[in-house]
Amino acid sequence: MKDPVTLKISLPKIPDIELVAIEGLERLAHNLGIANEKIGEAKVLVTEAIINALEHSGAAHPEVIVEFTMTRQELTILVSDYGKGFDPSSVKDPDLKAKMKSRNKRGWGLKIMKTMSDDFHLESTKEGTKVSIKKRLT
Amino acid sequence: MEQEFTLTTELRGDCLIIATAGYVNNVGGESIAREFAGHFENGIKKVIVNLGQSKVVNSIGLSFLIDIVDQLNDAGGKLIFTNLDPAVDKMLTIMGLFQFAGKESSVDDALKEFFV
Repeated sequence: MKDPVTLKISLPKIPDIELVAIEGLERLAHNLGIANEKIGEAKVLVTEAIINALEHSGAAHPEVIVEFTMTRQELTILVSDYGKGFDPSSVKDPDLKAKMKSRNKRGWGLKIMKTMSDDFHLESTKEGTKVSIKKRLT
Repeated sequence: MEQEFTLTTELRGDCLIIATAGYVNNVGGESIAREFAGHFENGIKKVIVNLGQSKVVNSIGLSFLIDIVDQLNDAGGKLIFTNLDPAVDKMLTIMGLFQFAGKESSVDDALKEFFV
């Protein structure tokens, strides 16, 4: 079995910067001989975690640190920002029927991450927010 | 790297087919919504959205599709998604969108659904 491989990158808030992380993820997977179709949901998790962090960090110069650790069996994704943080209990699960009639149709990121991941942790303080996600790849 | 977002449209009778390629983000979602609005104003109520060439989408891009589904449902129309990547299919399922929109494996299957 190959050793875990790790990639750590710092991403500034510029349009579509999450695609850089996606490309890194694909290269890690390729290196471990993991087929692209096995990481489809992992790509969603990475995308949502990064856009959420960049959009909601509240930092003057938003930047997120993304760290992947991948084995053939599992991917761990850590996404940290150094923003103002938020109270996770204040975020309610979105309801589609209500969203359809609301002006704000957004707010799905946390629900998607929680549902699609195998393990999800979010820790937020006034110094920033850390999201930790595990996803099985087998 | 995921390709730049592009969109093509085709009218088959009174059915609008929107096919996307590349990353469906806020810009992509807005483009789909804009394209839809132009045809909806002209009475089009049957819409197929082929996401087969979009392997990466985000929830902001998909939020624009919620609005389209809502407008179509209110007008007695329907949207059918086709050629979904399994991960995109799961996102739409988590959002609950298939309660209000259809899903088919291909554009041809969606057309059959509309015209049978």
